[in-house]
Amino acid sequence: MCAMAAREIVRKIVHCDCDSFYASVETRDDPSLRDKPLAVGGDPDKRGVVATCSYAARRYGIHSAMPMSQALRLCPELTIIRPDMAKYRSVSRKVQAIFRDYTAIVEPLSLDEAFLDVSDTSICRGSATLMAEEIRRRVRRELGITISAGIAPNKFLAKIASDWNKPDGQLTITPSEIEEFVARLPVDKLFGVGSVTAKRMRQLGLATCSDLRCQTLSQLTQWFGKFGATLHQLCRGIDDRPVQTSRLRKSISVERTYARDLPTLESCQEAMPGLLESLEQRIHDAGAERRIVQCAIKVRFSGFETTTAGMFAGEPAPAVFAELLQSAWQRGKRPVRLLGLGVRLAHPAVDRQLGLFDGVSEAN
Amino acid sequence: MKFTTNREALLRPLQLVTGVVERRQTLPVLANLLVVAKDGALSLTGTDLEVELIAVASGVTIEQPGEATIPARKLADIWRSLPESAEVSVTVEGDRAIVRSGRSRFTLATLPASEFPSVESGPGDVEISLTANDLHRLLDQVSFSMAQQDVRYFLNGMLLEITSQHIRSVATDGHRLAMCTLPHGAPVDDRLQAIVPRKGVLELGRLLGDGEENVNLFMGSNHLRATSGPFTLTTKLVDGKFPDYEKVVPRETARTISGDRDLLKQAFNRASILSNEKYRGIRLILDKDQLTIQANNPEQEEAEEVVAVEYAGERMEIGFNVSYLQDVLAVLEVDEVRVSVADANSSALIEGVGNDEALYVVMPMRL
Repeated sequence: MCAMAAREIVRKIVHCDCDSFYASVETRDDPSLRDKPLAVGGDPDKRGVVATCSYAARRYGIHSAMPMSQALRLCPELTIIRPDMAKYRSVSRKVQAIFRDYTAIVEPLSLDEAFLDVSDTSICRGSATLMAEEIRRRVRRELGITISAGIAPNKFLAKIASDWNKPDGQLTITPSEIEEFVARLPVDKLFGVGSVTAKRMRQLGLATCSDLRCQTLSQLTQWFGKFGATLHQLCRGIDDRPVQTSRLRKSISVERTYARDLPTLESCQEAMPGLLESLEQRIHDAGAERRIVQCAIKVRFSGFETTTAGMFAGEPAPAVFAELLQSAWQRGKRPVRLLGLGVRLAHPAVDRQLGLFDGVSEAN
Repeated sequence: MKFTTNREALLRPLQLVTGVVERRQTLPVLANLLVVAKDGALSLTGTDLEVELIAVASGVTIEQPGEATIPARKLADIWRSLPESAEVSVTVEGDRAIVRSGRSRFTLATLPASEFPSVESGPGDVEISLTANDLHRLLDQVSFSMAQQDVRYFLNGMLLEITSQHIRSVATDGHRLAMCTLPHGAPVDDRLQAIVPRKGVLELGRLLGDGEENVNLFMGSNHLRATSGPFTLTTKLVDGKFPDYEKVVPRETARTISGDRDLLKQAFNRASILSNEKYRGIRLILDKDQLTIQANNPEQEEAEEVVAVEYAGERMEIGFNVSYLQDVLAVLEVDEVRVSVADANSSALIEGVGNDEALYVVMPMRL
């Protein structure tokens, strides 16, 4: 029996994705909302956007990230609920606790989405399909919301599969089905292919993965640079990325869209302390104080032109952001719609470098 | 204005002065050099408002005095590209400068000299004179330890300290510290400290020779001026408080190893090839008269070096950023070095044996 070798070759990955998560939680708590168009998000009068919407709302053409005012125009009877993040986080923790009954290798992508590597799990006779069914049943029964699942030998296919029979559905792609499934897959389903790359591919006559497979690695690299190598693998259904239990945070940021444009540089400066405070809170929550290597600002002007500025700095000092704001604002010199502050983080290894003045008071 | 000269007479002054000019400027005139021809001498000035360098050129024939500002980088590029020993003439007419040499002619746009800013420099409080060689050592032995774009802005420079007993330079980026002391005092009360900004240190290092010629330093409350032969460099000082460097120089170091600088340097250089490219961590294992250096990278490739040293203490392991050790061994001009540490979480003191001019402190990495 060569179970070891077989296990190394075929992995069992499950991608779980809650269906319209925030909206589902709200509907669970207020059943009168069931089957009604519902959007969770910001205030339409203050340029709020849709965070999640129910499937009933989607039928009106509403989707997440759409300005709430536009959503209201599409569907005047839309029910709007302000997000209650604390509640969603608590439900998310319970969902993840269910995942962990099946494997310790869980990679959360957000509150409502995660990859599970169940290759070594013996529950359900080791069948990932049965495990996914059981997980979905338990989430529905214990938490009152629905979740969809995709089961495949890698992350890329599992993620596509979970979307296939959404909502409240699942799809398994077995190793023998990969070939046929991927061949017909439209290129824009591949991660990393956004609207720009998709357009370029259309121009090159590449519509599906089987079109991509006809191209050599060097041709793909010539067209798409480094991404060509990834494409060469993906269009063959190959994706060796492991499920990572702790994803490395590379940056932390906060941003705010203002109900009314900030008209002047001074008004932007006045908005900074509040933003900086929430940034500091997030840095603290992540325990990342000592890993900061760079500070950055994002400024979106009234006409949606967006500019960013950054500098190397070891702490998110007000003076650093004041300087960045100054230089970013100069590029537009117009009212500002959105301000964002962020820090880039170094690899945790730098934390291992001890500092000379760590224990010494510099103030004397 | 018109002057004629030989390419070689102006080449080095032009390149040094242009070095001060920033590639991106806040004011258009800062991309230019101020060129002044008067009283039979030609001077070139470049500035970024923080550091100003003036060079007085010799071997120039002034046919018509005057002043103008000329695009620095373009002028320097043209000058460098001219054939060796070429005779060159520069004429400024209206808002144009014309450079002629042989069958070449270049017309450059000028800006009025009146727009050219000068770096404020009050009278110097203290004047000290030392040889170019000594000043060069003060800079070279420590400048690699200066921070770069640190928010602790006072670390982005070099501390220059003058007492009646010594002149000392100190630089630190918060992870390591370098200090060089020369027994060359000046009549000051107590001690005088100034933080010279990073750029001022680097530019000063570029123009200094290694000879016995004298350099005069004038230190004011907010600027430092150095004159060396035909060059005068003025730099603003960093307005801040340098950390109390004496507190971080370890005094209690239970364990000391000493070894051959070259052997250690080469061993670190080889081991570093397989240390993590970004974080540069290596492991040192001290044991009886033997130092083992280990490095590995994310690809799990490994290097091991064993170097014979003098060490009588207990076995211990300590981690370092190998670049910090390489930097120190590259500047220590001695045959034998001594490394002293208390434990794996405390700073290491590195000195040259028989030469106490410079000392280095390096914090370890957690293993």
